[in-house]
Formats: sequence, C-alpha cells, structure tokens
Amino acid sequence: MHPWNSTVGSASLKLMLKLLARLFQRRILIEDSMKSKVASLLTVLMALPPPDPQFVLRGTSAPVHTLHFSCGGPEPDIPLLFSGSENGFIHVWNLKTHRVDTALDGHGRKSVYCVETMGGKDRLLSQGRDQRICLWDLAEGRTSVTDSVFTEHMGFCRCSLLKVAQGRWLMAMAARSLEEVQILELPSKTSVCTLKPEVGAKLGMPMCLKLWQLSCGSQPVLLAGYEDGSVVLWNVSMGKALSQLSCHQEPVMSLDFDSEKAKGISGSSEKVLSIWCLNEQQNLQVYKTHELVNAGISDITIRPDKKILATAGWDHRIRIFSWKKLKPLAVLDYHTATVHCVSFSDHSSPWDRLLAAGSKDQRISVWSIYAQT
Amino acid sequence: MAVFDTPQAAFGALRPVCVQLTRAQTVENVRQLQAHLAGVSGAALQELQEYVLFPLRFALRVPGPKQERLVQSLVQCISSVLAATCVKKQELLQELFSELCTCLAPPPSSVKAAPLSEELKLAVIQALHTLMHSAYGDVILSLYRPSSLPLLGFAVSLLLTLAEQEKAKQIKISALECLQVLVLQCDCQEHRQLDEDEEQQCGDLFASFLPGISITLSRVIAGDIKQGHKPTVSAIRLFYLIVGLVMADKQLARIPKSKEKLPVEHSRISELMIHRGSDWTKSTAEKLSLLLHKVVESSSVHPHWKVRLELVELVHHLLRNCSQSLVDSFSHLLKAVVGLVNDENSEVQSRCNKVLQGIAEQRIVAQNRALADVLSENLHSLATALPRLMNSQDDMGKVSTLSLLLGYLKLLGPKINIVLNSVSHLQRLSKALVQVLELDVTDVKIVEARRSEPPGPLQQGVQKGRCQKKYFRFFTEEKVFQLLQQVCRVLGYYGNLYLLVDHFMGLYSESGLYRKQAAMILNELVMGAAGVGVDFLQEREVPLNVDDLKGSITSILDEYMDQANWYLVTSVDTEESSPEQSEQHLGLAVRAGGASSSILLQSSEPPVTTRTMNSNIWQICIQLEGVGCFAAVLGKEFRLLLLSALYPVLEKAGDRTLLISETALGTLADICEACGYDSVQCLINENSDYLVNSISLNLRQLAYQPRASQVLDTMLRNSDASLLPLIEDVIQDVLSALDQSYNSQASTFLRVLHSVMTALVQWFGMPSAEEHQQRHSDKGQSRARSQGQHKVTMTSQEVEQFFLDYVSQKRIAEGDLPDLEEEEADEIPLAKPEPSSDTEGEAPMPSHAQLARDVMERCIHLLSDGSLRVRLKVLDVLELCVTMLHPHGNHLLPMAHRVWPALVTRLISDDPLAVLRAFKVLCTLAQTCGDFLRQRFSKDVLSKLTSSLLSQAPASARAGPVYSHTLAFKLQLALLQGLGSLCERLDMGESDLNKVADACLIYLSAKQPVKLQEAAQRLCQVDQSLFEKLSVLAPVLL
Repeated sequence: MHPWNSTVGSASLKLMLKLLARLFQRRILIEDSMKSKVASLLTVLMALPPPDPQFVLRGTSAPVHTLHFSCGGPEPDIPLLFSGSENGFIHVWNLKTHRVDTALDGHGRKSVYCVETMGGKDRLLSQGRDQRICLWDLAEGRTSVTDSVFTEHMGFCRCSLLKVAQGRWLMAMAARSLEEVQILELPSKTSVCTLKPEVGAKLGMPMCLKLWQLSCGSQPVLLAGYEDGSVVLWNVSMGKALSQLSCHQEPVMSLDFDSEKAKGISGSSEKVLSIWCLNEQQNLQVYKTHELVNAGISDITIRPDKKILATAGWDHRIRIFSWKKLKPLAVLDYHTATVHCVSFSDHSSPWDRLLAAGSKDQRISVWSIYAQT
Repeated sequence: MAVFDTPQAAFGALRPVCVQLTRAQTVENVRQLQAHLAGVSGAALQELQEYVLFPLRFALRVPGPKQERLVQSLVQCISSVLAATCVKKQELLQELFSELCTCLAPPPSSVKAAPLSEELKLAVIQALHTLMHSAYGDVILSLYRPSSLPLLGFAVSLLLTLAEQEKAKQIKISALECLQVLVLQCDCQEHRQLDEDEEQQCGDLFASFLPGISITLSRVIAGDIKQGHKPTVSAIRLFYLIVGLVMADKQLARIPKSKEKLPVEHSRISELMIHRGSDWTKSTAEKLSLLLHKVVESSSVHPHWKVRLELVELVHHLLRNCSQSLVDSFSHLLKAVVGLVNDENSEVQSRCNKVLQGIAEQRIVAQNRALADVLSENLHSLATALPRLMNSQDDMGKVSTLSLLLGYLKLLGPKINIVLNSVSHLQRLSKALVQVLELDVTDVKIVEARRSEPPGPLQQGVQKGRCQKKYFRFFTEEKVFQLLQQVCRVLGYYGNLYLLVDHFMGLYSESGLYRKQAAMILNELVMGAAGVGVDFLQEREVPLNVDDLKGSITSILDEYMDQANWYLVTSVDTEESSPEQSEQHLGLAVRAGGASSSILLQSSEPPVTTRTMNSNIWQICIQLEGVGCFAAVLGKEFRLLLLSALYPVLEKAGDRTLLISETALGTLADICEACGYDSVQCLINENSDYLVNSISLNLRQLAYQPRASQVLDTMLRNSDASLLPLIEDVIQDVLSALDQSYNSQASTFLRVLHSVMTALVQWFGMPSAEEHQQRHSDKGQSRARSQGQHKVTMTSQEVEQFFLDYVSQKRIAEGDLPDLEEEEADEIPLAKPEPSSDTEGEAPMPSHAQLARDVMERCIHLLSDGSLRVRLKVLDVLELCVTMLHPHGNHLLPMAHRVWPALVTRLISDDPLAVLRAFKVLCTLAQTCGDFLRQRFSKDVLSKLTSSLLSQAPASARAGPVYSHTLAFKLQLALLQGLGSLCERLDMGESDLNKVADACLIYLSAKQPVKLQEAAQRLCQVDQSLFEKLSVLAPVLL
C-alpha cells in the first residue's frame, strides 16, 4: 500500500493537493473512489484567485513578438522556448535553467515576428521585418542560416507552416502584391500556387494565415484573415476561394482553427471574439461572438488538446477561455504593456505543459495552467 | 651428567632403577628413576618407553590405599616420560588414560575419606594433558570411538567437577585446558587437522557431553568474580569451542535422518549415543539459548576486559559456525557484540568493529533471512523502548542504547529495507527518533538575540556553514546527537529513499510537534543517501541514483519553502513592521490556501508565546541547514534548484533574528561552495535573474511579503550596475504598485525605493557627480562644495587664480594671442565634452536617471504624508534622487520646481526632525540648481530659517550641557553648518548674506555652546570670504 493512501481521507486541502501532484509524478492511477475527491479539489482550485506566473523570463531587452515551444523531446532533451523580439534576436531559452542558451541574430536587427520549428528543435524557421524568412540549422550547437526566402511583404502577417510528409512542408506567406498569399514548398522553395482574391473583392492585406488539413494526406486548406475583417477559406491545390465570411469590422489580428470540431476563432482590434464554423458544404458561418471587456486582441491560440484557448490582449492581459463554450476561465494579469503573443507548450506529459506570453514590456511570462482546466 | 644416546646405554642406566622401583614402591625410588630419566635422550627413551612405564604403572595399580605423595610422584614421572616420548599404541593410550583418570576419582570405598590434595590433582591433570599431546597421529582417534564413550565421559565429568568446584585457580584453569584438549580443540598447532568425517564423528560423540559441559561451564562463567578472569576466559573459550563443534551448521546438515545402527555388542553404548536430528537440534538450541543468555549477561558486564574480548570471540565463532542452528540466540549475541562496540577498552572496541565488519562483509546477515528477522525484531523492541530509555537513562546509558541501535542498523545493512517495509517497524523507529530528537525550546535568548543594525555586507558571513548548536530536551551530550545523526544517515544510506522521505514528510506535515525533528531527520537522511559522513560496515548493493536523490531533494525543498513552513512568526517586533502586521499575517494565511493553513492561523493568533517563536526559529534554522546539506550533496547539480531555493534563503539572511540570519549566511556559504561560486556576491550576481524573478513575483503581493524588499535590498547591495537592466522592470512594478496604494503601503514601498536609490547612487552617482563638478569648476565657479570649510583657507589662491585667468582672458579679448598652436591643443579636449553636455537634454536619458526621475515623482506625492516616519524616509529618498539626477539638469530642474512647494512646507512648518532632513535635501539640491533656487530660497525659506536661528539663540545661550543632545541643538548646528556653503553655492545677494550674518553673529557669543560657536565662526569665515571676493573683484571688474 502506498504510504500516503491512508492519510487521504482526513488530509487537509493543501496536503491533498501535494498528494495529487505526487500521485501524478509517480504515475499512480487514481482510483474511481478518489475521482470525486479530485474533482472537488479542482473546483476549489478554480475558486482561488488567479495565480502568479510560474516564472518570468527577462533579458530580451526588446519587446517580444513571437514565442514557440519545443518540449516534446524524450527525457535527456532539454525543453526549449524560442522567442523572437523586436531587436531582431531569436533567443533560445532553456526551460530547465530559465536562461538564454543562445541568441540567434539573423534578421539584421529588424523585428522577428514569427518563429516555428520544423520537426525537431534543430530546424527552425523565422520570419522578420527584414522581409526574409530564414531556415536555421541548430543541430549540435550550430547557429547558421541554411536557407532564406525573400518575401517582399511589408506587413506583419505571420507565415503558416504545415507538414505534409516526412521532410516536406507547405508554407503560406503574404506575398509582394498587397492582397496575395503565396504557398511555397519547403525545403525546395518551389512555389505551389498564389492565391489571389477576385478582382474588386477589396479584402486588403492578409493579416493572419492558418494552413491545415483534415487528416494526413488530404487536401491542404488555408484560412486567411484580411485587413477588411473577413476570413477566407482557400483550397490550396485548386488555388480558389471556397468561402468568405466577414467576421469583424476591423482587420483580423489573429485566428486559430480546430479541425476536429471544424470550428475557428478570430480576434481583431475590436472588443469582440468571433467564433465561426465550417459546414459540410465547406461554407464558413458565424457560430457565435463573444464580447470582451477591453478591445484589441493580438494573438489567439487553442491548446493542442482543444480544451481551452488563450488570448493575448492589448489591455496587458492574457485571458483563458474554455474552447467548448467559450466560458471565461481566468484572466492572467502580469504584464505592464500589450501582450503580443501566447503559446502553449508541447510537453508530452500534460501536467508539465505551460503557457507562455510575450509582451511589449520585454518580458515573457510562463504560466502553469494545467490545474485550472 | 652423562647423556645416554643409544637405547643400550640408556637401558643399562635405567634398568637397575626400574628393578628397584618394582621391588619397592617408594617415593625415593621414583625420584631416582626420574633423576635417571633426565639423562636419557628422547630417541633412546622412546625405545624404552614401555619398559620404563611398566614399573610406574605397576606401582599405581597395586591394590590398597597408597600414599598420596607416592601417587603424585608416580604421575609426575609418567608425565615426564610422556613429555619426551610419544604413544604409538592404542591400547597403551587407553590404558594410561583410564589409569590416570582413576587416580583422580575419589576412592569408591571410603566415602568420607579426605579429599585428594590439590597438588595431586594438578599433577594428574597435567599428566592427562601431556598424554593427549603425546599420542601419536591417528592413535589419538582410538579414544574417540563410540566404544570409549564411557571412558571419555568419565574423564569429562571428572574434569568438569574440578573446574567447577575447586577453589584453586590453577587447577580450574588446567582442568579447563585439559578439557579443551580432550574435545580436540587445543590451541596449540601441533595437532593434526581432522577431516570432515572424523569431525562429524567427534561431534556425534561430544553431543552426549554437551548438556553437562555447557551447563557446568555456564555456571563457571557466571561464577564468583573473585575467581579471577582467567578461568572465566578459558571457560568461555571452551564453551564456544564445544558448542561450535557440536552445533556446527556444516555437520548438522550432514546428519542422516535416522540413527545409525551400531553392532550388537555395543548396544548399551548405542543407548548413550545421541542422534543429532532436527528435534534434538531444536531442543538443544532452545536450552543453549538460555545458557547463552546467561553467559552474555554475566560476561558482557564483566569488569575485566579480556572476558569481554572473549565474549566477542564467542559471538564471532558461533556466528560463523552456527548461524542457522543457534539463530534464536543471536538476538542476545548480537546485542552483546553491538553493545561492546563502545567498550571502554580500545582492544575490545577494535575487535568488535572487526567482527562486525567481518559479519557484514561475509554477508552473513544479508544471506540469512532468519538472522535478519532476529535483528529486525531486536530493532523493533529497542525502538519501542527507546523513548523510555532516553527519558530515564543517564547520558552514558543513552550512548550505549543508541550505539546498540546504530549497530543493529549497520548489521542489517541492505536488509534494512525489510524493516522499513513493515509499517509497524517504520512507525516505531520513526516515532522513537522523533521523540528523542525533541528540541528544548524554552530558551528566551534565542528569540531575543537580534541582528545588529545595519546589516554588514554579506562577505563577512562567508564562513563554512556550521550547524547551530542545538539544545535537546532529553540529552545534552554531543555524542548522543552524533549517534542519532549516524542512525539517520545509515538509514538513508541503505534504506529506500523514496519510502523514507515520504514517511518523514508525512510526519513533518502531520503535526507541528514533529516538524523540527522530522526536518532534522530528513536532512540527515539525504546526507546519508548521498554517502556523506556515513560510517558503514558494507557497501550498499545498489549505487545511488542521482535522479532519485534530486527528486527527493526537490520535493523536500518544496515542502520546506512552502509558505506555511517558511514564513513563521519569529518575533513580536513592532518596530520593523507596520501596524497592519497581524492583519498581514492573516492575509497571508488566507492566501496560503484556505482551510489548510490552520497552523499558520494558530500561530498568528494574538498570544504568540516565546516558546512558539523559539520553536519557529529553530524550525527555520533546521530547514536552512537542510538547504545547505542538499547543496553540499548535489554539488553543481544544485544550481538548477537555485531557481527556487536562493530567494528564500537570501530572504532569511536578512532576517532580524540573529540565529536565523547567521544560519542563512552559513547556508549561503554552503551553496557557494557546493555550486562552485567564489563568494556570496558572485552567487548573487550570477543568479540575479532568478532572484529578480522571485522578487518581482513577490512584490506583486508586497503587502503580504514585506521581505521581498529585504531581498531586493540585499541583492542591490551585493551586485553591480550590470543588474540594472534586469531590475528595471521590477522597480517599475514597484512604482505602479505604489501608485495603487499610497495610503496603506507607503512605508513598505519606500524602503524598497530607498534601497534602489542607494544602489543607483552607488553605481552611477559618484563618477557623474565628479564629472559634473569638473564642469562647474571649469566655468570658474567655486570649487568649495561640501568640504566648504577646508577650502576656505584656499580662498586667496583661488582669487589669485581667478585674477590671472581674468587677465589672460582680457588679453585674448584684446586680440593678443601669444601661442596659437598651444592654445588649440588645449582647446580641443575642452571643446569635446561641450557638445555632449549641450545635447544632454535631447539625448534619451539613461535608464538609471529615468528611474530616479520616476521615483522622485512619487516622492513629491508622499512628501506631505501624514506619518512623520514616512516623510523622513521620503526626504532621504528625495536626496538620493537629487544626487542621481545631478548630471541631468534639464530633467532635475522641472522636478525641483514641482518638489519645491512641498519641500518648503517641510522646511518651514514641520517637526524639527523633518526640518533637519529637508535642509539636507536643500543643500544637495543647491549643488545643482543654484540660479533656480536663489530667488525661491531667499523669498520662501531664508528669512524663516534665520529667524528661527535668532529665536532659538537665547534658549541655547541659557542651556546646560544636556542641551547638546536635544533636537533643537542639532537643528541649530545643522543650519549654522549648512547655511554658509548654501549661500556660497546659491551665490546669494548681499541683503540675504546680511541676514545670515546677523543670525550667525549671536552665536559667536561665548554663552553659546562651543559647537555652535565653532559652526558660527566657520559660517562667518565663509561669509567673510564672500565679502572679500566681492570686494576684490569689484575694482578689477570695474
């Protein structure tokens, strides 16, 4: 018998919380009889005031624009967090020591606003305001740019990456001419197609992109948010717009899409979050909208397990919602300036998972919010 | 005397004597024979052995009573023959043996006859002894056939009777030695080694005597101490030899199931023979166990060390040979040997250790489950009795009890886990340890001892962290504590760390009563697990897994540094804390997680006794020591844990309770050493990012976490300017938090701001201030600044310099340029700094200056705070801000403008203390904004100050010596000292100077206190020099 079991009945709340963590750590299965206790514990937890960040990463010395975790590796691998900041550096944070392992300088001191890993943590893609997308080789301590794509795009639209096969990626990025989106295949850099809206559509510049496919091998599809507040669904292989939905009055700042539920969410500079769904006829429909207290959303991310989502607000706050009903769960208040980006970690064990937010106040706050869901 | 080498010659010499003896058996004749024997060589005598022995034996066999002296001399003579020869015939051996035995036996006829003389007995015993040694090769074995069992038994019983009942020590010893030879366990090396079968046979044979021998011997051993140690030692040796032989595991294993059938003619003998089957073994072992218990009890406390040494040997021998058959006795035996580890005699000690080592090395315990059970049973009963024993025994008794406990644990070695896996064992053991380790928390001094203020720099504390001396309730002896430490470490070394840590963590959180002890034990367990300072007998089987250790340490650290366990009430200090202290604690308690923090809630209830606080202090210290231990154990690996551990430790380093801060400093030193940092400063510097993280998170709840400011303070004092980019945002956080709560938390925040500004001034203030001064002096202004009075004497040179400069400038203006090139070379470096100072306003301010400005802004609001203490603090901070903004006039002036009204109020109508500080700020301000202040100063303040000086003068003139300690005096002094340089710096007009001079003149009076006079004198000098300057310059300028 585990020595702790006997104490569970009478243990006070805090002891039980500790116990829970221990049980999780030791991979001890929680019996059915205990499940109700666990559930009641969790409700108590949710009633507590929102917590402080688990830790805060300092030292980028510039506003942080993008974050990307790489924690999925097996045990000896150190969990990493990549951050791109306004001074053109990509910092590689070691999440064990909470310190910068390396600082990558490849965008001529121009703001980096998108960082993605390609496969493992050794290959990195970064996009900067110098109108370049760089591919990095970070294996064995190297820090070299292996390849780069010149986008000629002047906006802030982040590119979107989709793995289509082993070693093959599709990348959607805003192209040179104002309204176009270009799809490239990586690493060959061959252009797959260019998505041009119909003449006279007046969508404006693309603001955010999300490339996805229903299942591996099926048709890749692109969701793009435009300057005029509309979201357009593109069939990539046919190069044709499937559906268009105008969700916002203002430019779409960020969107994310859950392909399982065929539901997506977008935010703009307004006070509204818009949730839309994709029906069987491949038509986008407004599902519902959610009113916010303060205007301005700079980033939206649905957690990989599709249970909750996080928004980065211009009001300096991070908000957590349940994805199913969009019930507000928590407001994480730490930053003192606009939050630019939010990102969930890809730890293999759920209780290690983290949320990170980068802000204009040059700090990256890292939160452990697993217990809140 | 001639030596007869050949048998013939010897025969010739011996024959007459032998014949003579055969004819007449007298003592005289025997003596003659013996005398002749001496002249015969061994080889020759061997030939004539039987011939010579014949008359002697004949004489013994003669029926009828004999003279004792004759028998004695006969036996001695036989003995001397046997000593020189060896017996080669079985018959001869048996006959001689029985004849000699008969001599010892009391004559059957005369029951009441006088007992045999002691000399005779001794002679016979020695003869037997010699006989046994002279038996040649296998011949001796003929004695050990079943058929000779009666004879042997006779001899054994005779000898035993002698050993037990004789008074003479010599006889006892000889009898015992003889017995030893008889059971073929002689100490001398001459004997042939028996092979297994022969041994087995002897074993069977001796089994018959075992009851008799063992009972008698145990009586001898437990007998009167007056018999001396030698018989006891021999008896013990014989005891273990015979038991070891009969009960040997090796032999018993080979015993067939059923008894061997002997030939018919031996049927009576076969009844005597014993079959060492399992039943017999069991019952014998039971009986032996009783005897052994008796033996151990009497001899382990025997005053003579050789007896105790022999006891150790006994345990050793039996454990080696009979670990299975006698398993039940081992609880006594092991207890004895483990207890003797701390014997006063070093020889016994070392032998004990060696034996234990041997036991451990041969894995006797590890391979023998039954033995392990015995040990764990012993352990259990000892653990049960431990608290009682600790309560009742004296220190020596405690030492022996604990060394017994330690010995058991060491012996169990890797088998400890058997014990630990049993819930009741573990609970007994842990409860016992926890009870024994109870601290004495009645000492009031611990609570009273405060750290002296202000705290010195951390480097002073960098000495290896020693454990604080603890005071226990149940013992005072240091040795006892060391033993307990060893007990815990051995547990940690062999035991399952997860299990132990879990268990003791359970105790830790179970009750406040156990918490300190459990923490102490946990610390030692970890040390033990890492193998630090463990004194063990055998290596553990599984090497340490560093990840496991790290996991355990992490969870212990989490528990230690949990709010409810780390932030305890250690003082009822009202000086340091704001009135809301108790409220804060309640708030903290609520934050710490609702219902569970009942302990904390209790502790913050109004009557916090000294006892509780003392206990809390100790708990924190023990936990701090634990952190030090963990660092030492993990070495550089601990660096990863610094993330969570460094901040709390630093926090405690700033604690006001002396004991805590000292311990924390020790811990810091330990961490430095373990993680490879050169100094505490280095540690703080390199981990400032971790600290900043914790500080910033804690500052968010500054109301509940007043200590965050202490850590920030410590960190600032121990770091350098490189820290600034890291803490910048933290300070901004503080400022914005302050904006939220001006009323309630101002004093807490101000402390933070004060330390921040102090650090900034230290890092950035000095060089730029000098630079600034430089620039000003270039412009020809007075160099005399704060050191005004020293520079007064320089005034004439200064004026001269000024004049020379003036002349040269004038010449240049007139177009007379003497050395153009030289001039240019001079001018270039001069010109360079100019643009930079001109563009200062437009260039972005360095961040430290920005911070200073932000802080200053808050100060403006707080200057009129209701509480005097806050106002004083604000004035201090304000002064630092002004110093900081010195080089940035463009920013300082607008701020100064905004500060001015509030500052004036402080100068004019406030508590004297505030006036004093405000005046200091004014002086600092005057260093930079001369022109800016001139008008305002003369308009708003000067008249007020001078009038206060004037009005106070009569009072001070009348006052006695105590006056110099009053506030009014200090204010006067400060004004008199400060006004001069202030006027100088502000370049005041004549009318203002007159006012100052008027005020100062009164103080030149001899009635005024001396210090005031001196200050006034200096002030006058300054004034005078100003006047002089004016008067000197006036004509030149004109």
